[in-house]
Amino acid sequence: MSTQPMEDTPKGAIAVYDEKQAGILRLEAFGLVAVSIVVLGLVVFAFLLTKGLASTYTYRGEHTYNYAGIQMTDINAYIQAKKVQVQPVSAEALTAYNAWATANPKTVNVQVLNQYLGDDYNNTGTVFNYMINYFSGGLGVSCEYCHNLQNFAAYELPQKTTAKNMLVMQFEVNNKWINNVPRPQGQPLYQIQCATCHVGAPKNWNKALKASNPAAFGIEGGGLPVSYDMLDEQLLKTRPDPQTGDVNYYKVTATKDTPAGLNATYRNQNQMYHQTVALGVGCDFCHYGGYFASYYVENGSFKWPKSQARHMIGMVQDLAINWWPQVQFPAPETVAQPNCYMCHRGYVVPPGASNTAPQPAQVSSPLIKPLEELPIPKPVTP
Amino acid sequence: MASEITRVESADWRINRRFYLKFLEGLADTQIGPLYVGVWGIFALVFFAITVFVILFGYLQQVGYNPILFVREFPVLSVEPPPPSYGLKLAPLAEGGYWQIATFFLTLSIVFWLIRIWSRAIANRLRPTVPIVFSAAIFLYAAIYIIHPISMGAWNEAPGHGLRAQLVWANAFSIKYGNFYYNPFHMVSIFGLLGSCLLLAMHGATILAVTRLNAHREIDEAENSTEGTHRAQLLWRWVMGFNATATSIHTWAIAIAVVSMVAGALGVIFSGPVEPDWFQWACRAGIVPGVIQPGTTNVAACLR
Repeated sequence: MSTQPMEDTPKGAIAVYDEKQAGILRLEAFGLVAVSIVVLGLVVFAFLLTKGLASTYTYRGEHTYNYAGIQMTDINAYIQAKKVQVQPVSAEALTAYNAWATANPKTVNVQVLNQYLGDDYNNTGTVFNYMINYFSGGLGVSCEYCHNLQNFAAYELPQKTTAKNMLVMQFEVNNKWINNVPRPQGQPLYQIQCATCHVGAPKNWNKALKASNPAAFGIEGGGLPVSYDMLDEQLLKTRPDPQTGDVNYYKVTATKDTPAGLNATYRNQNQMYHQTVALGVGCDFCHYGGYFASYYVENGSFKWPKSQARHMIGMVQDLAINWWPQVQFPAPETVAQPNCYMCHRGYVVPPGASNTAPQPAQVSSPLIKPLEELPIPKPVTP
Repeated sequence: MASEITRVESADWRINRRFYLKFLEGLADTQIGPLYVGVWGIFALVFFAITVFVILFGYLQQVGYNPILFVREFPVLSVEPPPPSYGLKLAPLAEGGYWQIATFFLTLSIVFWLIRIWSRAIANRLRPTVPIVFSAAIFLYAAIYIIHPISMGAWNEAPGHGLRAQLVWANAFSIKYGNFYYNPFHMVSIFGLLGSCLLLAMHGATILAVTRLNAHREIDEAENSTEGTHRAQLLWRWVMGFNATATSIHTWAIAIAVVSMVAGALGVIFSGPVEPDWFQWACRAGIVPGVIQPGTTNVAACLR
């Protein structure tokens, strides 16, 4: 390293480099440019490599990130994409149905559809159309999965009893929760149908599936003991305030009275991660990024998705408390808790939701009543 | 002190306990060692080893003592503090007790290390500026792990021991206290952090720039500045209008670094007892770009 001033330093020069120093400088400049090109190339390569994964990676996927609440994919496209094995209606079943319909033009022992959807469903043909479209299509099963083909009216198979209970649950949940979702004017209203939860499979929501897809089921930590299910004891006990109708499922943002501890916040964050995976959206789909507690963003617009999510948490609570214990699952010990992913499957509007399904009427005395009449929280609106 | 120096000078076997790393030539002093052991150093190391043992044992328990899982899941493993229900009490081992033990030994090991640095500085007849500045960093650690939890009444307010646990704590802490970006002490701390980076880069580059003028020996230049120092000072006077001296630049460095740590500690301490929601504070302070209704002083209109 040179420690003496250059003897031939030009007058007024601030810095003069000898050949060795100049050579080093040239090398450094070349190296910088070369490294930049290599890094840029690696970035482009990584982008090209992962581009194909975009369609399977629904977090913040642009194809689901829509505030208008428009269904971005239908159930058939979803079933195809997920390669769900759907069993078509068998020829034997159709033959048996034709014989049954000829012998019984009016329905025999139909208990639910005619109550909720009207007298049209006292006709065997109307009921058959509903069964083919919603049951067979939604669960991906043929008629003999539930029915005795010699006697369609009999309740011999436990699956038929379960299906009947689920039908009551579907109509009751539509009436109570879905029809009351707070939404802006012009946003379409969808209905739950069999496909909304079943997504082309008769048994689709079980603990084996939970073990293979922890993020979808709301477990953090990759299955390690540090884990949370969406509906823990605290959430199951939370009820709207009887005076104000306000509900606070997760007390997160502190006030002077907030109890000490961060566990509630950790728990809430896990729930939020679940919701991002379940709907395929980022945090700012529901939240104002500057202040998560707010329902408004800085330009004054209202965050409808946050209000809707709050309403939906109440619905999932209702499913777990009132309906899961009563639908008579064939193997209840294998069934996982309901949660957001069960229906949403990575989309803002569930692929299995329908805006063409017939709207059920309110039935004053349904076959299955809720175990507890959970009040709907007062909706948050602008 | 004199007898201690005598002992060192006569104990050649200890002075010779050193080796050289040739590849460090040009980058650093190639000599490694001798390392002073000392009582405080032994205590610090032993207590730190206990901390590490407790934490790693906790990790192994979580993966069922599976070494493959241990390696694979290491970034997400954590030893968590007790749940809020235990408050500041001693918790059972499996419910935060391990965290309490690990944190206790970690705190003591840090304090013993501080004392070690202090004792070596005094033994070398240095001013104790290094341990004093280290105390600022310890203040930040204490604020997060001890002062804030005690002021809030629950160890659960402190972070767990683990890579992911630290990140999760930072996120949750910010969310609970209304977005830490709006905490003014956090703002000052970030200024100190980034300012330290800037200052270190400026100073390092400046010293390297004057090496060709043999002005990189800073202590010599502080006592008697030569052409290299003058040229460097001229550079900064031209660039930004003022300059430091060979001594004052290091004072600047300490000041900005200490500001970063002390402000950060105060930001954590004040969260909760003084201000539970920093975003609402920012609304009241008028620094939030919220929806303010004209003609109103109602801070609730800032953001509902």
